[in-house]
Amino acid sequence: MLVIDALLQGILIGLLFALVALGLTVIFGVMDIVNFAHGEFLMLGMYAVYWTNYFLNIDPLLALPVSAALGAVLGLASYYWLIRYLLRGPAIAQLFGTFGLMLFLQYLAMFLFSADYRMIDKGVLVGKSYSIGPFIFEGTKLAAGILSLISFAVVYYFLYKTKTGKALQATAINKEAATYMGIKTDRMNALAWVIGGGTVGIAGGLLVNFYYAYPMVGILFVMIAFACVALGGFGSIKGVFYAGILVGILEMMFPVFGQLIGSDFLGPHFKFTVVYLAYFIIVVVRPQGLFGWKN
Amino acid sequence: MGSFVKTVMIQFMLFSLFGMGWNTIGGYGGQVELGKAQYVGIGAYTVALMMVWWKVPFWISMPIGILIALGYSFIIGYPLFRLKGHYFAIATICTSLVLKDIFDNWNLVGAAKGIELPIHEHPDFLYMQFKSDTYYYYFIMGLFYIAIFYMNWFRKSKLGYQLRMIKDDEDAAESLGIDIRWCKIKAYSIASAFVAVGGGFMAVYNLYIDPASVMELSLSIKIALMAMLGGAASLWGPIIGAAFLVPLDRFLGSWLGGHKGLTGIDFMIYAMLIMIVSAYQPKGIWGIIEQFRKRGR
Repeated sequence: MLVIDALLQGILIGLLFALVALGLTVIFGVMDIVNFAHGEFLMLGMYAVYWTNYFLNIDPLLALPVSAALGAVLGLASYYWLIRYLLRGPAIAQLFGTFGLMLFLQYLAMFLFSADYRMIDKGVLVGKSYSIGPFIFEGTKLAAGILSLISFAVVYYFLYKTKTGKALQATAINKEAATYMGIKTDRMNALAWVIGGGTVGIAGGLLVNFYYAYPMVGILFVMIAFACVALGGFGSIKGVFYAGILVGILEMMFPVFGQLIGSDFLGPHFKFTVVYLAYFIIVVVRPQGLFGWKN
Repeated sequence: MGSFVKTVMIQFMLFSLFGMGWNTIGGYGGQVELGKAQYVGIGAYTVALMMVWWKVPFWISMPIGILIALGYSFIIGYPLFRLKGHYFAIATICTSLVLKDIFDNWNLVGAAKGIELPIHEHPDFLYMQFKSDTYYYYFIMGLFYIAIFYMNWFRKSKLGYQLRMIKDDEDAAESLGIDIRWCKIKAYSIASAFVAVGGGFMAVYNLYIDPASVMELSLSIKIALMAMLGGAASLWGPIIGAAFLVPLDRFLGSWLGGHKGLTGIDFMIYAMLIMIVSAYQPKGIWGIIEQFRKRGR
């Protein structure tokens, strides 16, 4: 029972991880850039919903468009003001550039909101839980899982079924060929950043319902997202979905596993260590990921 | 020399040492390495633990720390250098965070509380315990000069040339018969040894270490940043970077310390610097100097 419960909880949180990692993998697929500041977009999305809820008394779930919009604007702004310049330089400069953006947003949040831990305490679903059969789900986590799935499906539909989405895919597969087909790749890059920022903004808005927002929260989730992206294969969208769920299950099962065999060493404080280790092992053993399409 | 200036100078030389170490793999080798803090930790913990447990003098425990760092870097470097670019950079962060998590929870080594070094009543050269900063100052200065001479030799050594070749074009380097992976591992180990020396020094100088101070990700970033800002792949780059950032750090720290509500501004200025440098002059301050020198000719 404990195991099945952990499994279900893992799937719910895994759906959210998949949504966080989605933006990272889209950006990576389209322009081969790793966005270290991705976790900070998430953090700002969390704060956006928190403050809307705090000042305007709007339910956190209804405040999601605010965080989505903030994420999209952030993505767009960082593309036009920073990433475009970084693209001209060597790879090392690109890494450091997004790293700088990450530090900047972290300490901007520290400056504006202080280092306090903040969590939403009022809302329709906050503090409620539902029992389905023998299993009890927290309302916020259930909503986060379901809404993540819906957001993911919308983006997936957009990328695979609409003309613009297909153009984006074409840019990811071969930039030069896409240019010859009349696709404005610069705009596609910007679009990738908008999608990346928007989805992670939504994820942040969902996360703040049951997780503390603080300026340094991003690094933890960006590492999880890196693990998902590596597991799914860098740039693969289907892959990142399954990988997110797998990582979610891994994270939830690990403490349960430790509990079952009665080992203190496998306690919950190591559950993220496992994620880091997983990343390391995956990229070393199978760099193309489980469902990879790009090397 | 005032004691404040001396403290800043010690920090400056310590970070130059770290930066020069990082420069072997990160600068000359062109591999974005963001996990140097784990070697600071290894150096610091070896010295501290051996002193606390077995009263081993600093002069013996520091070389042992270097050896452990070398061994560990070979073990971890072997799988690590199957990776390139972004994959490699993230993997180095991962290994560093795993080690920090372990030390954070391992009661034998003090867990998150850290360890305090026993304080001797009288100054003791063997244990590197002095009443005044002056001795530490000259000691780190000695290391600093050794590092400069070593780096000057290194950049003209066979390995130095091989690394630059690898950085420019891996395929070409391989076709010339250079064992790429082995070269990178060697450079990585040299970098680790440098950093472990600095870590050992940090333990005896601060007399207290915990995972948050010697293994934090921000330390890895600072090390790479100083070298990058000053100019990676140049002899003077890391030194210029440290000479620029360490006093800035101190100045901002003491200036902002008096103004409540301004926390974070110092790092925001840092971050702006990183973004501007990577967008406009990835070769750093040394790159700008080179540009002017070429124009002058």
